Amino acid sequence: MLLAWSDGDQSALERLMPLVYAELHRLAKRYMGREHAGHTLQTSALVNEAYLRLIDAQGVRWQNRAHFFAVSAQIMRRILIDFARARQNVKRGGGAKQVTLDEGLVLSPESGADLLALDEALERLATLNTRQSQVVELRYFGGLNEKEVAEVLKVSSRTVRTDWSLARAWLYRELSSGGRDDA
Amino acid sequence: MTPERWEKVGKLYQAAMGLQPDGRETFLNDACGDDTAMRRDVESLLDAAGRAGSFLAAGAMNDAAKMIVEGNSLWLVGKRLSHYQVLSLLGSGGMGQVYLADDTNLKRQVALKLLPAELLANEDRLQRFEQEALAASALNHPNIITIHEIGQVDGLNFIITEFIAGQTLRQQIAKVRMNLPTVLDVAVQVASALVAAHAAGIIHRDLKPENIMLRPDGLIKVLDFGLAKLSERVDPEKAVDAEAATKFLVQTEPGVVMGTAAYMSPEQARGKEDDARTDIFSLGAVIYEMLSGRAPFAGETVADIIGALIHKEPQPLSTLVSNTPAELQHIVSKALRKDRDERYQSVKSLLIDLRTLKQELDFAAKLGRSVSPVSRDAASKKSAQATTANAAMENAGTQAVTARPTSSAEYLVGRIKQYKPGFAAGLAVLLLAATFGYWFYSKRGSNAAAIESIAVMPFANASGNSEVEYLSDGITESLIISLSQLPSVSVKARSSVFRYKGREVEPQQVAKELSVQAILNGRLVQRGDDLTLYLSLVDARTGNQVWGEQYDRKLADLVSLQKEIVREVSQKLWARLSGTDEQKLAKNYSQNAKAYQAYLKGRYYWNRGPGPGYEKSREYFQQAIDLDPTYALAYSGLAEYYGIASTVGLLPPNENWPKVEAAANKALALDDTLAETYNSLAAVKLYYYRDWPAAERYFRRGIELDPKFAEIHAHYAVCLMSFGRNEEALAEAQRSVELDPLSPRFNYFWGFILFFMRQYDRAIEQFRKTLELDPNYVMAHEELGNAYEQKRMHIEAIAAWAKALTLSGKGDQASTLERTFAVSDFETAVRALAQKKLERLNEKTGRGEYVPAWEYVMAYLRLGDKEKVFGWLPKAVEETYGFALNLKVNPTFDTLRGDLRFQDLLRGLGFKQ
Repeated sequence: MLLAWSDGDQSALERLMPLVYAELHRLAKRYMGREHAGHTLQTSALVNEAYLRLIDAQGVRWQNRAHFFAVSAQIMRRILIDFARARQNVKRGGGAKQVTLDEGLVLSPESGADLLALDEALERLATLNTRQSQVVELRYFGGLNEKEVAEVLKVSSRTVRTDWSLARAWLYRELSSGGRDDA
Repeated sequence: MTPERWEKVGKLYQAAMGLQPDGRETFLNDACGDDTAMRRDVESLLDAAGRAGSFLAAGAMNDAAKMIVEGNSLWLVGKRLSHYQVLSLLGSGGMGQVYLADDTNLKRQVALKLLPAELLANEDRLQRFEQEALAASALNHPNIITIHEIGQVDGLNFIITEFIAGQTLRQQIAKVRMNLPTVLDVAVQVASALVAAHAAGIIHRDLKPENIMLRPDGLIKVLDFGLAKLSERVDPEKAVDAEAATKFLVQTEPGVVMGTAAYMSPEQARGKEDDARTDIFSLGAVIYEMLSGRAPFAGETVADIIGALIHKEPQPLSTLVSNTPAELQHIVSKALRKDRDERYQSVKSLLIDLRTLKQELDFAAKLGRSVSPVSRDAASKKSAQATTANAAMENAGTQAVTARPTSSAEYLVGRIKQYKPGFAAGLAVLLLAATFGYWFYSKRGSNAAAIESIAVMPFANASGNSEVEYLSDGITESLIISLSQLPSVSVKARSSVFRYKGREVEPQQVAKELSVQAILNGRLVQRGDDLTLYLSLVDARTGNQVWGEQYDRKLADLVSLQKEIVREVSQKLWARLSGTDEQKLAKNYSQNAKAYQAYLKGRYYWNRGPGPGYEKSREYFQQAIDLDPTYALAYSGLAEYYGIASTVGLLPPNENWPKVEAAANKALALDDTLAETYNSLAAVKLYYYRDWPAAERYFRRGIELDPKFAEIHAHYAVCLMSFGRNEEALAEAQRSVELDPLSPRFNYFWGFILFFMRQYDRAIEQFRKTLELDPNYVMAHEELGNAYEQKRMHIEAIAAWAKALTLSGKGDQASTLERTFAVSDFETAVRALAQKKLERLNEKTGRGEYVPAWEYVMAYLRLGDKEKVFGWLPKAVEETYGFALNLKVNPTFDTLRGDLRFQDLLRGLGFKQ
C-alpha cells in the first residue's frame, strides 16, 4: 500500500542522505560526550526537517503526512543499512584490522544493535506479520512515536504498543541466540 | 513457523504479559496443553522481553552513530568546539583523546583533551572533576602543564591546555637508553612539579612516563594532575585485600590499568586511602625505568604486576646498569618502599637528595672539562683523571665501564673535593671574561653608525583603493630586491616580511622576530594621478626614527621615485655605494613607467603561486614586454611563469619548455646579471634538455651573481638531492631558509628534501614548521601526509591528506578518504581516494584538458594496479623530467623497487651526469 517505492522516492533518498550523515556525525559527537540519552527525539526532528525540505521536492507527491513518514522511515532504514553494510564489507573484504587506537575509546558497549542482523530478522518477521515489522521500522528507523505509528498504519495506539512489545521480544531473541558475531 | 501459528504465539504472549509473572506459568500450562513447543516459544519470548532492557530504545540513528564513534576518533578533526578549531588528533588513551587545536580568539595552538563520557557519567563525578581540574589549573609552575580552560560544549567535556611540542617520556625511553645526567635532570624537574602540586594539596595519583613530556629545549612538563581520581575503579571500602583489588581492576579496563599498574603504589593497588606519598612511589618507579629501560615491577598481566609490586622487591638497579651511583640506588629504593612510612615522607626531601646528587655529578663533569693551569704537571695529571671521570659520567646508565667497589658518584665526589679550590678560581676567571666580553660586544653593537640588517615592511596601501595594491606591494618588493644587491647590508626576503602585511606590529617586535637592526615602513596614498609615499626608517635597537620622508609624485614618475627612494634609504643605511653598486640599483628597471607598472602587477600575481589568477601574471609580464621590448626583468618573469606552470602540471611540459628558454634567452641578451634568468635557464637545461652539468653551471653562475637569491638555492638543493648529493643539497636548502627564514616555500623544500632522504622525523618537523608559517600550504600538508605514511602513522597521514584536499577545493575527495578510513582501514581508504582521483582525471581527459601522465601513475600506484603503473610510467618519464629524476629516490615508489621493469626504467632514464 503506502510503502511502495515510487519514482520520486529515489530522489528523496538522495536528498535525505546528506542530512542523515550530518545527523549521524552530530550524534557521534554527542556520544563522545556525556549525553547517552537523546533517543528518538533527534530522529523525528530530522524527519521533520526532511519533511519540510522534501515537501516541494520535484516529482514527489506526498499523499499526506502519514505517507511521508512511512516512506521516510523506509528511506532511513535503507540509508542506515547501506551505511552498516558498507562498513561491514570493507571490514571483511579488506581483511584488514579495524581502526583502533591503543586503549581505545572508553565507551560502554551496551545496546548498540547489530543493524544488519536486525534488518535481516525484520525481513523474517515481515513474513510472519507484516504490520509488526512495519511498527519496528517506523519506530526504530523512522523515529516515530506510538501515536504517529498508529496514524500511519491506521490502527489504534494500543495495537502499536502490543505489536512493538512482541516484535521487540522476538527480535531480541533472534539476535541473541546464534546471532551474528560482529556489529 | 506459519503466520497463523505466530498469531497464536503472539496472542498468548500478550495475554501472559498482562498477568503477574507468577501467574504466567499456570496460564501457559492451561492454554498450551500438550503443545509444549508452543509453550516454550512463548516462555522464551517472555524471557527475552524481560532481558531486552534498552534494546532498540535508542533508535537506529543512535546505534549507527555509535558505530561511527566506536570505529573512529577522527570525527572531531576539522570541527569547532567553542572557539577552538580542532586540527588533528595527537593521541588517545584511557583518559580520553587529545587533539591539537587552534584557539581562534588568542591565535595560538592549544591541546584539547576530550574526556570520555563514561568517566563523567554522573553529576558527582562531573563535579569532582571540575573541582580537581580547577585546583590543578591554579598550579603555576614551569614543570606543570598550564591549563587554560575547562569547558563544556554540546555535552562534551574538555580541557584546554598549552600545547607542548615534544615527546612523552614513554617515547623517549622506547627510543634510547637515557644517560645518567638526563635521568637526573628529568627526575629533578618532575619532583619540583610534585612539590608545587603537593603544597597546593593536589596529588597526581597517576604519574607515569606517558604523563611526562619532554620538550626539545629540555624542559619537562607533567600532565594530568588530579585527573586520575576520575578513573579510580577501586572503592576503598569494598576492596580490602590485594586480590580483590586485582580482580576488580582486571575486570574493568585491562588496557587502561595495564598502563598504570606498573607505577601504582602498593596502597593504591590495594585500593586503600592514598596520600601524597603515592606520587613518591610512582616517581621512584619512573626513575628506575629511565635508568634501566624497564619498569621495576613487571608481569604479563595486570594481576602479575600488582602481585609483584605488593610482594616483591625490584631487582637492584646496579645489577641492571653498571656504575649506578650508590646514592641513586639508595634514593630509588627509598622511594619504592612498600610501607609508605618508610618512604621519603615528602617529595621535597626526595627532591633535595636528587638535586644534591645532580649537582655533585654536574660539578664532576665540569671539572672534567676545565683544566686550570696550576702547574703543567698537576694540570696534565688532573686532566687525565678528569677525563676518566667524564667518561664514567657519560657511560653511567648506558654501558659498563670498569666496575668499582664504590659507586662512580662517590668516586667522582671524592676526586672533586681534591680539586675544588683550583677549579673555583678557574671558573671565576672564565665568568669574568664572559661578562666582559658580552659587555664589550654590546657596547660595540649599539654604535649608531652601522645598520647592517634591515627589513622593508610591506607598504601600507592607505588609499583604500585595492587597485593600487599591486603598486604598494610592488614598490616594497623592488626596494627589497634593490637593497639586497648591496654587499654590506642584509635585507630580509620578501616572504619573510610579507606575512606582516596588514598587521599592526610594533617595529621593535618585528625587528626581534626577524632579527634585524632596522625597519623601513612605508605608506602609499593615491588620489587620481597623484601619488604620495611616506617613509620612515626606525632603528629598532633604540626605537628612534632615524629618517623620515614624504614623496609627492605623479603616477607617471614612478620609476624615478623608485630610484630616489632606494638611494635615499641606502645613504641612511651608511652604505658606501660604489659606482657599480649604484649602477646595479638602477639598471633593472624600465624607463617606461607603464611597463614597470605592468611588471609589478605580473610579479604580484606570480608571487601568489599557481592557482586562480596565476594566468594573469603571464598577461602582465607580456604587457610589460610589449610596452618596453628591452625590459629584461619582464622576460625573466615570463620565463619563470612558464617554468613553474610546466613543473606543476598546469601546461604540457614539452610544449612549454621552449617558451621558458626563449624568454630566458631574451632576458639574458638584455641583461646578463639577473640571477632569476639563470635559475630559469638551469631549469630548461635540466628538465628539458636533461643536461645536468649545464644546469649546474647555470645554478652556480646565478648564485655567484646574487648569493642572496633564496629561490635559486632552494631549487638547486632539490636538484642536488635528485642526484644523490645529499650533503650539498641540505646545505643549499639550509642556506635558502637562512636567507628567508619565514618563507613557507623554502621551509617546505627543505622538508621535501629530507623526506626524499628518508629522514622522516626531520621532514615532519620541517613540514610542521612550514605549516606554522602558512597553515594553508597545500603541498606541505600533502607531503606531511606522505611522511606520516612512511612512519605508519596512519591517523595523522589521513588527517594531513584530507586537509590538503580540502584546501585545494576537493572536499568530496577529502570526505571519501575520511569516511572510508572511518569505516575500514588505511589501505582501503587510500584506494578509495585513488579511485575517486582516477575518475576525476578521466573526466578531465574526456573534456580535452591536459592531465600530466604522472598523475595517472600516482593514481594507479595508490590503487595497487602495477600493470597500469608500468603502462603509464614511460609516458610520465618522457613528459616530465622532474618527476623522472625523483623516481630514483621517491619513497612512495619503494613498493616497485624490487620489480625488474622499474629497474629497467631507471636505467633507461640515462640522464647526462
